[in-house]
Amino acid sequence: MSVSVDTGGKGGKKSVNADLNLVPYIDLLTCMVAFLLITAVWSQLARLEAHQKGQGQAGEDTPPEKQFKLVVVVNDEGFNVVADQDQQPLPKKGTEYDYEKLGTELKKLKDAHPDKTDIQIASEDQIKFEILVKTMDTALTARFPDLSLIDAGGAGI
Amino acid sequence: MPIKAPHAHLFDSVKLEVAKAKLGHLGRKSLYAPLNLVAYIDMMTMLVIFLLMSFSATGEILFVQKNIVLPNAQNWADLERAPVIGVSRDVVTLDGSQVATADELMKDSSTGDFKITELHDKLVTLKNNYKLLHPGEDFNGIAIIQSDKGVEFKVLKKIMYSAAVAGYQNVNFAVVPKTKGAPGAP
Repeated sequence: MSVSVDTGGKGGKKSVNADLNLVPYIDLLTCMVAFLLITAVWSQLARLEAHQKGQGQAGEDTPPEKQFKLVVVVNDEGFNVVADQDQQPLPKKGTEYDYEKLGTELKKLKDAHPDKTDIQIASEDQIKFEILVKTMDTALTARFPDLSLIDAGGAGI
Repeated sequence: MPIKAPHAHLFDSVKLEVAKAKLGHLGRKSLYAPLNLVAYIDMMTMLVIFLLMSFSATGEILFVQKNIVLPNAQNWADLERAPVIGVSRDVVTLDGSQVATADELMKDSSTGDFKITELHDKLVTLKNNYKLLHPGEDFNGIAIIQSDKGVEFKVLKKIMYSAAVAGYQNVNFAVVPKTKGAPGAP
């Protein structure tokens, strides 16, 4: 188990052929492969953060009544973006929810209120989890990192 | 038959021509064959590099349950150690043990109370255990909901309510991470 390095020594001199001992290297590789295979994590999963606090609750100095309220209501008809007193319904495109339009609207609101970081996603009972995740993902893409997932009945809209 | 003293080399007394030729290397190819290890070492090195790149120091926090299909998300964070509430279309589990069935949760409560008693009690126990085991640390109140993408919010809100009442205010949803710009991205 060796590799010889021939440098062409000849003419009565001592040969300069050297054998590289590869046994320790192969041992090390085998041990590393075994260890890494045992500790390998094959399922790559992650998390989407959400809170259950309402806007203007603990830890915030601004009184709730003075805060700019931003809520995305998810119902069977589509989205309804509620920004304080203004409501912007975003109906479905056929049977699919219009996430692109929602993203555009949220980005406009973010540009208008750059300090605003929190948003509420208010869902009705029959909405599937996948739709909620996509909606939250769209809100995160629009740079609203403080997400709250609440019941549409409790959103007060 | 006269007795002869043994020779120094048995080789000279053996009459087998083939054996003699092999042992004496009489113009034949040597029996020593060099083993080419270059390809083997290359393969092992590539394997080690691949495994090191996919190595995760946090280990496996979530196991994918076969009856739960997770949704995709672009904006995600790494998982943390926390109680895992599994929600499939049939059953709700906490760290692998059943705490409720979906049929029970789909029914409208006559009292209007959303709390799932068994889930709440087990979460309170876990919270108390955490405080006992980590006396100097603040309780972060994180629970991970590993829900099937077809589950309705009606079920989820009862789970979230039960978790919140038990002290788990920060609910994280397990997702399959998706790179930005992937097909189907919102």
